[in-house]
Amino acid sequence: MSEQDPAEEYAAALADTLRGPARAKARMVEEVRDGFADTVTAHTHAGLPYEHAVRRAVHEFGTADEVAPACQRELTIAQTRRTARAAALTVPFLAGCWLLIRTSGLDHGWPLRLLAVHVAGVAVTAGLLAAATLVTTGPVARRLPPPSRLPLTVAWTGTTAAVAMALAALALVTASALAGEWPLMVLSGGFAAASHAVVAAASRACRECARLPA
Amino acid sequence: MRADAVRGHLDGLLLAVLEPGPLHGYAIIAAVQHRSGGALELRTGTIYPTLQRMERLGLLRSSWDAVGERRRRRYELTDAGRRALADERTAWQEFTAAIGSVLNPAT
Repeated sequence: MSEQDPAEEYAAALADTLRGPARAKARMVEEVRDGFADTVTAHTHAGLPYEHAVRRAVHEFGTADEVAPACQRELTIAQTRRTARAAALTVPFLAGCWLLIRTSGLDHGWPLRLLAVHVAGVAVTAGLLAAATLVTTGPVARRLPPPSRLPLTVAWTGTTAAVAMALAALALVTASALAGEWPLMVLSGGFAAASHAVVAAASRACRECARLPA
Repeated sequence: MRADAVRGHLDGLLLAVLEPGPLHGYAIIAAVQHRSGGALELRTGTIYPTLQRMERLGLLRSSWDAVGERRRRRYELTDAGRRALADERTAWQEFTAAIGSVLNPAT
């Protein structure tokens, strides 16, 4: 049985503990793995036996468990920004829903008027949250570090937006079906499924990241 | 010097070793250790997330670079990074002057 490359083993142990956007996580793990491999190579070139060089590299790097919190902190921010961007993408969807409600020609009784207000409220909240998150975790964070609870706040706000979006679309679909507006119903259903899936998945991943030690 | 003591100055150290030109991760670590004569005890695995954080903050930019058969992420200072380094140097000089004047008062 061939022995696994220590750099690959180290990277695998690190990857097992980390959560976050796939591309960001892959980049993080790849950079750490390459750095670890370079460290081992430097020590062997300096004359240390291979086994000793590996032990020395682990000592200098820290174990995967010791390094993981610092990596997770950055991945959690990356996931928070991703969730905020997903929430921002729902704004056009929600604006579309709001327009459909306004222009559908359906009976604009109080349930639909209430729905329109609700949808507009969620759209404004999602847009503001996304903008605030992207600003506070970008270059502005050099002078004003983001609050530690931001990832969890974004995660739960995204979850709420996803649920609200699904309910709004369901109500719109029901109203369209009752009025025999099939094109509107199909459009609303498509919008709802796509947007809900994107925002709900990003929010779930953000909740996972926010729960990990960082 | 222990890793805990270095942590608060890590951004400044990384900016300083990148000032002459772009380097990849391991070369950055080696440059810090070389300049300090090995006196700074760094938990080097945490350098990589630190570099990515500094890139997110706009202090560094990075690109993939072929090194032999493998590729490496190469980091370089941005204009904001150069300004931040100047600020770090000023803050450090003020700090050491203040501490020095307490530890070694003029007689």
